[in-house]
Amino acid sequence: MDIRFSGVSKIFYPDITALEDVYLEIPKGEFVYLVGPTGSGKTTLLRCVTREVAPTRGQITVGSFSLRKISRVDLSIFRRDIGIVFQDFCLLPHLNVFENVSFVLEVLGVPSREIKERTGEVLDQVNLWRRRFLYPPQLSGGEQQRVAVARAIVNSPSILLADEPTGNLDLHTAEEIMQLIISINALGTTVIMATHNQYLVDAYRQRVVGIKYGRVVRDEKRGRYDMDGEL
Amino acid sequence: MGSFKYAFRDAARLIFRHWGLSFLTLITSMAVFYLIGASVLLVLNTRHIVGVLEGELSIQAYLAPEAASQDVALKASAIRHVTKVKIITSEMAMERLRQRLGSRQSEALALLGENPLPSSLEIWVDRASSVSEVARELSLYSEIQDVVYAGNLAEKLSKFSRFAGQFSLAVLLVAVTASAVVLFNTIRIAVYSKEEEIGIMLMVGATPAFVALPFVVQGVLLGGVGSLGASGLLAVSYSGILERLKDLLPFLPFLEPSILLAQLGVILVGAGATVSLVASLVAVETFTRRAMKPL
Repeated sequence: MDIRFSGVSKIFYPDITALEDVYLEIPKGEFVYLVGPTGSGKTTLLRCVTREVAPTRGQITVGSFSLRKISRVDLSIFRRDIGIVFQDFCLLPHLNVFENVSFVLEVLGVPSREIKERTGEVLDQVNLWRRRFLYPPQLSGGEQQRVAVARAIVNSPSILLADEPTGNLDLHTAEEIMQLIISINALGTTVIMATHNQYLVDAYRQRVVGIKYGRVVRDEKRGRYDMDGEL
Repeated sequence: MGSFKYAFRDAARLIFRHWGLSFLTLITSMAVFYLIGASVLLVLNTRHIVGVLEGELSIQAYLAPEAASQDVALKASAIRHVTKVKIITSEMAMERLRQRLGSRQSEALALLGENPLPSSLEIWVDRASSVSEVARELSLYSEIQDVVYAGNLAEKLSKFSRFAGQFSLAVLLVAVTASAVVLFNTIRIAVYSKEEEIGIMLMVGATPAFVALPFVVQGVLLGGVGSLGASGLLAVSYSGILERLKDLLPFLPFLEPSILLAQLGVILVGAGATVSLVASLVAVETFTRRAMKPL
């Protein structure tokens, strides 16, 4: 699914400008880093894609969905095609690793046999099959983030949104997560990743969109984290 | 099918996670529906008793010796609310007296010589509240010497029937509102306890209906089981109370419990399930609507 932002602005009450006149086109299957200082509008931009945030002005289209006016049922259907990885994992502490991942498929009404198969496959992919009966508090930060990635990709979404997925991790674990996300992208999933991790952006060169004060200040095909010291 | 399996499993999980609150809600809904059932039984019994007594309430109009009983009967039957008029000749009245006194005492009647009892009219009206009005009108007729009726009793019965109906309606309204509020709060607490989970569910594409289903099942289970318990309790207590009432007031015709309680049970369980369905739907719908609203 292509993602298109046309003149999108978001002003939070009373007058905090989070995004200003953003034009952005992300074709299907692309990998995009969103870089910028804290509070620059990266998270707001990601949340606009999931329609947790509605723009004050402008239009966002994702595939055939126009997000300006979308019914609650259509929004649910639309969100089924989006995987989200949060910085703070957002795992459910009373569910074990397997349940945290299979929960998504259960919610989507997938038959139980298929749930077992697909959850098993994805836990294998993130190398957590042997830890499937452990609960989130029993896992390391890197393992918890891998569960979050597994949950985000278990229903094979077209788009993966990752908000600082390596923010709480050491470099080695961050690289593991990064390689996982790169491999998901290689399968055709569009990835938008908001990050502060200069090393990863420079090591795994992809399209870089720089945001400052809510405006897109640069957009480079195979960019680096901090071009000309701007970011 | 999978959704329902999930909903029932999750509803059971919710009930056990908040077992104390669930138990209190169950007890409250049981008490509320017991109260509703008891007030319905009070109204039904009162109406039944009043109805039976109304059927037996009649006015005795004693005719003057020279009055033509047929003509007076015709005039009486034309009065509003009069349903039936029966002429009791002086001979019939004597025969009735004889029967009432029994064989030994009735011999004393022979000492009276000529029959002293006047002819009369027995008049029935459509409802107890009309008795006084009809009696007043009859007393205006010159052909009628005296009018005898259970004046105050008829009016009191009618007033009590009306009061019981209004009281029960008030009880019903208060009880249903109380039950709905308690169920609403229980479901709302359950919803807030799963706030994070619901947030993730909505983010991964669960429909609002799918999110609502376990909470609705939880509400309907609590309300339904509560009202079912209330029906059982009502059946046991009504049968017990009825036995005592029959001993104390043998002349009053109370309703028998057999079919009445079964019907009342079905109505109470249906009402319990409906009230809890609506309360849970409102509680969870309010939450999901807000959760899905973009910033």
